[in-house]
Amino acid sequence: MNETLPEGTLQLPPQWSTIAPEVDAMYYFIYWVSVVFTIAIFGAMVWFMWKYRRRPGVKSKQPGHATALEITWTFAPLILLVILFHEGFTGYVKGAVAPEDSLEVRVRGMQWNWEFEHRGGVIDDLNYLRVPVNTPVRLVMSSSDVLHSFFIPTMRVKRDVVPGMYSTLWFEATHRTPDITCESDEQCPEAMWCGKVPPGGTERKCSLPIFCTEYCGAPTGITASAFSEGGRNTNHSTMMGDLAVVTMEEYDAFIEEGPPPPPECESADDPAACWGENLHSNYCVACHSVDGVAQAPAPNWKGLYGNQRQFADGSSATADENYIRQSILQPQSQIVQGYSNVNMPPFRFSDRQLDAIIAYMRSLNE
Amino acid sequence: MTAEVAPQPHSSAHDESEGYLTHERGLKSWLFTLDHKRIGLMYLGSVLAAFLLGGIMALLVRTELLFPGETLMEADTYNQVFTLHGAIMVFLFIIPSVPAALGNFFLPIMLGTKDVAFPKLNLGSFYIYVLGTIFTLIAIIVGHVDTGWTFYTPYSARADSSVIWMTMGVFILGFSSILTGVNFIATVHKMRAPGLHWKRLPLFIWGIYATSIIQVLATPVLAITLFLLTMEKTLTVGIFDPALGGDPVLFQHFFWFYSHPAVYIMILPGMAVVNEVIATFSQRKIFGYMFVAMSSISLALLGFLVWGHHMFTAGMSEYATMVFSALTFLVAIPSGVKVFNWVATLYQGSISFASPMLYSLGFLALFTIGGLTGLFLGILSVDIHLHDTYFVVAHFHYVMVGGTVFGFISGLHYWWPKMTGKMYNETLAKIAFWFVFIGFNVTFFSQFIMGSQGMPRRYYDYLDQFQPLHMASSGGAYILGVGFLIMLFMFIKSLMSGEKAPPNPWASAGYEWLTTTPVHPHNFAEPPVMTRGPYDYHLCTEEELWDGFPEDFEKQAEKA
Repeated sequence: MNETLPEGTLQLPPQWSTIAPEVDAMYYFIYWVSVVFTIAIFGAMVWFMWKYRRRPGVKSKQPGHATALEITWTFAPLILLVILFHEGFTGYVKGAVAPEDSLEVRVRGMQWNWEFEHRGGVIDDLNYLRVPVNTPVRLVMSSSDVLHSFFIPTMRVKRDVVPGMYSTLWFEATHRTPDITCESDEQCPEAMWCGKVPPGGTERKCSLPIFCTEYCGAPTGITASAFSEGGRNTNHSTMMGDLAVVTMEEYDAFIEEGPPPPPECESADDPAACWGENLHSNYCVACHSVDGVAQAPAPNWKGLYGNQRQFADGSSATADENYIRQSILQPQSQIVQGYSNVNMPPFRFSDRQLDAIIAYMRSLNE
Repeated sequence: MTAEVAPQPHSSAHDESEGYLTHERGLKSWLFTLDHKRIGLMYLGSVLAAFLLGGIMALLVRTELLFPGETLMEADTYNQVFTLHGAIMVFLFIIPSVPAALGNFFLPIMLGTKDVAFPKLNLGSFYIYVLGTIFTLIAIIVGHVDTGWTFYTPYSARADSSVIWMTMGVFILGFSSILTGVNFIATVHKMRAPGLHWKRLPLFIWGIYATSIIQVLATPVLAITLFLLTMEKTLTVGIFDPALGGDPVLFQHFFWFYSHPAVYIMILPGMAVVNEVIATFSQRKIFGYMFVAMSSISLALLGFLVWGHHMFTAGMSEYATMVFSALTFLVAIPSGVKVFNWVATLYQGSISFASPMLYSLGFLALFTIGGLTGLFLGILSVDIHLHDTYFVVAHFHYVMVGGTVFGFISGLHYWWPKMTGKMYNETLAKIAFWFVFIGFNVTFFSQFIMGSQGMPRRYYDYLDQFQPLHMASSGGAYILGVGFLIMLFMFIKSLMSGEKAPPNPWASAGYEWLTTTPVHPHNFAEPPVMTRGPYDYHLCTEEELWDGFPEDFEKQAEKA
């Protein structure tokens, strides 16, 4: 990939999306208008300050009426303001209405992570968004806790993510992000950062940063910054994601196969169970333990597979593959006795990921 | 006209010890005073203490941001510190700074009257302010308030219960603001001295009057909003929290329905001061007096219609967004009118660069930048990129600090001799000005660039690429801090050993300079009758514009 990457200016980051040039043109228009006004106002000020500085024997003159002048500078700026409003609004509408053939990605914001679900229910790694290049992508966003705001500076898009409603934004990336492995931000091209290890990869790669721009807090007592450590984010300022722009072929392959297994599992004795263990430690460990000691908040996985399950409504079933699959995709459909107060959220794993989790559960019985 | 008694400059100073500061003594004479001047000074002491506290918070924030990662404190502590910086500066300092402190002191004097319309209510307002401050301090000391000064739901609805103390504090402070507003409106309408018709009203009064209108109309909405928030937190009534069936965007509408007009509660008084200072130090009537006066009123009214521009990314309908954007641009008109007229006032003036004037000229420069960068944020497509970044932080600091605080400081220097009866060291004041002016620009100009490059606000940690600009910004903040320390030293020195101030040290035609220094307990020994406007330098006698002591004028007159 030797494609030249867009470059930024002193004031604005590089233009990575189709709407960025228009937004920037507007920015620079008002910038130069401001420069002209500032020079005019400061120039007049400094000139008057010099020319009419207090000197002995020189008295001030009292102003007469200058109604014409007053009316001019009251109403003449209106013309400029109407232009600014009109241009800004048409640009905004363009950014607000996604093209009909946009590809949709579902975005869920939560303290302090982003989850991305692609078509077919494929959930990518946490905080990792991949989109195809030269394709309009529409993000349908919601929040499961407090307000967040989804912001990609290089795409010039931003939208609040609000609990209790959906909000949307769209952009079309114009360049593929280059494959550059990195250890620190300095090794990455302009406006990129050294992101996490991509799903299925082994080394960190440069990506376009996604920010949260609506304040969403921090837990009490977290000391370390989680910037370079990868994994879960720890507060509003680290609620960042990686945007990777890929080719359409790469994107389709990803949708086809779902997120790939972690590379360290390829050489494992039981690759599927290894992947399952990895998923457990990323998604499930907070509630489900695997040590065989039963405790709240959720059933222990050790010895669960093949067990007889007693449900809160009195019925029962054997914990086979179908039971486990349904419990992950629709947790509320079968509630085990004693866990009625637990609200497990549904997890939309790909088929291969579900297989891996089941394989891991089975391995716990051995 | 012959029947009217001309203003008696510096007259009836029978006894210097009869000034308002010394005619009664003891703690009780202050705590139970109904004298608007003493109440004004008590407010001044309180807001300056709040400013110091908020300033320390600001320096903590800037120090933490010197380097990425943890520099001084944990993320959670940082979030509390920036919340307190915002809440203290907005509610305890800026809002009461000019109206409650300087306004209380000078509004009745400039109207040529003895006191405000309701002196007891005025004292009551002060104690309500104290009570609100106590609640806020309790929240700071015992609690954990990390919501940002905006208290956005559902975060605030789920946060620590000390948020209730904080919102109660702000709720109570609101009443202080409302009652002061009512008092000032009544005073302006009913207590003007004979001859002081509306077209002669000092522009300071016009500004404070416009501010009072907003305070009375908008503050109740904040009170209702915070009350609903408290209800939601204590009784779990679902209003804003979607988990209880509420709507978080509704909170933003309510909050900004107050807090946008509150921006004008903050800036109009700053502008009001600048009018007086520019007129005095140019020895000239403010150009386009009536246009400037009306621009204050139209800002007050327009301020009610633009709250939605804080929410362009929040998920309002596109139509609402369009209307708010269009209305927002209208605000530029009265703001521009003011700037153009101030610059035009300098033309053919006789300009002195004393410290109050330096701050007002600083205001003019910084407000111009703050106002023009507001246009960037009004343009919808550009705002999407800039919203909630450091660009916004820089913009509102240019307006709130470069505007309001510079106006307040300008007024403090300008009226210091009248309030305290002491002069201050002008050289020190000028040194402090340059520290403040340069420090301010270094601090916040770097934030414009950071913001347009995409640095989000309220971030504890940041990407390495922003580090140089963050460091510059923090460096500027230290320069700014040093400037304020020099100023503090200069004012304390003035109180301890300042020279005695003459009644009209700046040779101003303003009404407040007609009375004695220190000010007579009843403002004027004899009720004045206004025979000219407050900027009519061409109608003033030489005695009125005499900047020394009255006895020296007499001596000089005898010599001549």
